[in-house]
Amino acid sequence: MAEYTPKYVGTVTKYVFVESPTMTPGELALRAYEASEGVLIKETCFGLQVTGEPEAVDRLIEEIRSFDPTHIFVKDRGFPPGDPRRCRANLGGARPGYLGHEREFRILRYITRGLEELGRGEVREEEPASPARRKRSLLDIKRLQELIDTEEP
Amino acid sequence: MSDRKVRIAQLSCGAEYSGVQKEIYEAAESVGAEVFFPDIALADVERAVKKFGLDVKSADLKLMIARALALVEGKVEADGVFIGTCFRCAEAAIVRNELRRYIPEHSKLSVVSYSFTERTTAGTLLTRMEALTTIARRRALLAREEQTGITMGIDSGSSTTKAVVMKDNVIVGTGWHPTTEVIKSAESAVADALAMAGLAREDIQAIGTTGYGRFLIGKHFGAQLIQEELTVNSKGAVYLAGHQRGSATVIDIGGMDNKAISVIDGIPGTFTMGGICAGASGRFLEMTAKRLGVDITELGPLAMKGIGKNVPMNSYCIVFGTQSLVNALAAGSSPEDVAAAACHSVAEQVFEQQLQEVDIKEPVIMVGGTSLIEGLVYAMGQLLQTEIVVPHHSQYIGAVGSALLASGFIKGE
Amino acid sequence: MAKVFIYPATSLILSDLVARFGHKPLGAALGIRERIQTAGVDSPPLQITPEDPKRGLKYAAVEVPSGVRGRMAIYGPLIEEADAAIIVTEADLAFGCMGCARTDELILFSLRQSGIPILELEYPRDEEEGIRFVAAVKKFLDGLPKEESNKEGEA
Repeated sequence: MAEYTPKYVGTVTKYVFVESPTMTPGELALRAYEASEGVLIKETCFGLQVTGEPEAVDRLIEEIRSFDPTHIFVKDRGFPPGDPRRCRANLGGARPGYLGHEREFRILRYITRGLEELGRGEVREEEPASPARRKRSLLDIKRLQELIDTEEP
Repeated sequence: MSDRKVRIAQLSCGAEYSGVQKEIYEAAESVGAEVFFPDIALADVERAVKKFGLDVKSADLKLMIARALALVEGKVEADGVFIGTCFRCAEAAIVRNELRRYIPEHSKLSVVSYSFTERTTAGTLLTRMEALTTIARRRALLAREEQTGITMGIDSGSSTTKAVVMKDNVIVGTGWHPTTEVIKSAESAVADALAMAGLAREDIQAIGTTGYGRFLIGKHFGAQLIQEELTVNSKGAVYLAGHQRGSATVIDIGGMDNKAISVIDGIPGTFTMGGICAGASGRFLEMTAKRLGVDITELGPLAMKGIGKNVPMNSYCIVFGTQSLVNALAAGSSPEDVAAAACHSVAEQVFEQQLQEVDIKEPVIMVGGTSLIEGLVYAMGQLLQTEIVVPHHSQYIGAVGSALLASGFIKGE
Repeated sequence: MAKVFIYPATSLILSDLVARFGHKPLGAALGIRERIQTAGVDSPPLQITPEDPKRGLKYAAVEVPSGVRGRMAIYGPLIEEADAAIIVTEADLAFGCMGCARTDELILFSLRQSGIPILELEYPRDEEEGIRFVAAVKKFLDGLPKEESNKEGEA
């Protein structure tokens, strides 16, 4: 069996997603290239993949985030870009992780809203730390009695 | 037949995380097929799960369901389907079973399903993948319902080697030898079959081989057709049983592994192969016959005179189960009862572990050497509550199927 | 900077927020990256190496399906390494690394057993919930130590 010699050793790859009314993935890529300084940039349908030395990637990410802080989102990726093991062209279909991104992409606008609110410093301190789902309140005993009464023949 | 790669859609949960995805790729590649994952979007997953109506919790199982529906609805094209999930996962087993039932019912796609462990290798998957590709690639050949000309089929099995000579749709010669040295045993079986047919090697217009030694003997005899036993046996079974159209179920309890095949118009729809436990194989019955001091051919009639229930058996295992039989003999059980219990044990294990994986449609046809053990056929019939069909020459099933299909290779055909 | 295990471990939102607010997200990508970048005598790993289901025996017994053990070989060391965790419950459409419900149950249990601070919340369904979601995550992360964690995982 062939020995496995990995590529891109010591690098990190990050996904950059842009969900913005003012910036397209293409524009994002253009601006990122200008700031890339040797970091490998690959444009995707949702944004970018950036690959390089960890410090260089961190620097670039910081720069990229500053383009549009509340509309740009970043996440680590295990595989380097274009890896045949994950590539849609080789698998015949999207890798499962892509659908997971789709799931979260739908609600990014709510996160954006949350970040904007934070920026305005308008989050009230008394907000509950954990936004537990609003529970359906129990039926009042008096109301129950009323309901029973109305059901009487 | 084209050289285009056969495209097998993979529907699975846990293959990568069990470390067996590479094995799946390898098995497919070695039979000229490629595995792919049907492309769908998140909305398809949500819609498909709702439509299919099976509310599983694991997202990758939902993905399996959505991919299956994309295939059935024709949104994604494939030549065959491989369904695989982790062994011992109940949630996945339910999805796997329902999909392998659903897909052939709603499409023309053939399905093979398998539950893997981290130990599953490409070798284990090979015959299954080969059958899938054969069905896709050789549909026209598999449609053949009559043998023409003079052809020979050789089945190089793990226990025995069988050869059959056929002429104008009639079996004119048979040969049977225990498999010792693969080629030598095949030579002997072939010589016997030719002698019985009164023909010479030169008279044979085409040769087909099957069974474990198919590649080796195929090369040795210059066979035109070298084919795994799943498709060959199902073809042979419905041919001999005179049931080439419609659905049927073929059960072949072999020396080393078992096949249960749900056949539609002579072509396997779903099938399973078991091969892990010797207790569910012909070996177990051989051991029992030896213990009882009878020939294997006498075991069946003996079992028919006994009542299996009279012998307590603690295990299906060839070691511990046989021990139960020995204990029963020592405690005064009759050889008839012991023979019946052994037959019941093998039938029951095949029933519990394999026949649940295919849809049993009548007629149920039993083939292979073990189909001559009437006690075993009886026990299986009892479990399935049906009259089992054992066609003539059933022990030569692979050889007959090969000879039948080989006639498609006669020049001028 | 605290190491914060994120659940779903493939979450873009959590990975982003944890890093954005100055901490290190521990997610599936880190475990995968480590395997992808390690040379081996075997052919390239597909997510995990063929050895991983055996390594996973540390986190789940042999009768647990191989896919659970293989996944736990990724997550087990990350959970051991984590200083805190953020959990989005009802994350029912996380595929691949998170696609097995049984593994997910085991991950959540392991996190809750570990005694580290945990924030549990649900995905926001509207803007109002989005505001509360981000605020809650920020508040939780602000309460974690800023200095580099020296907690070592057994990778």
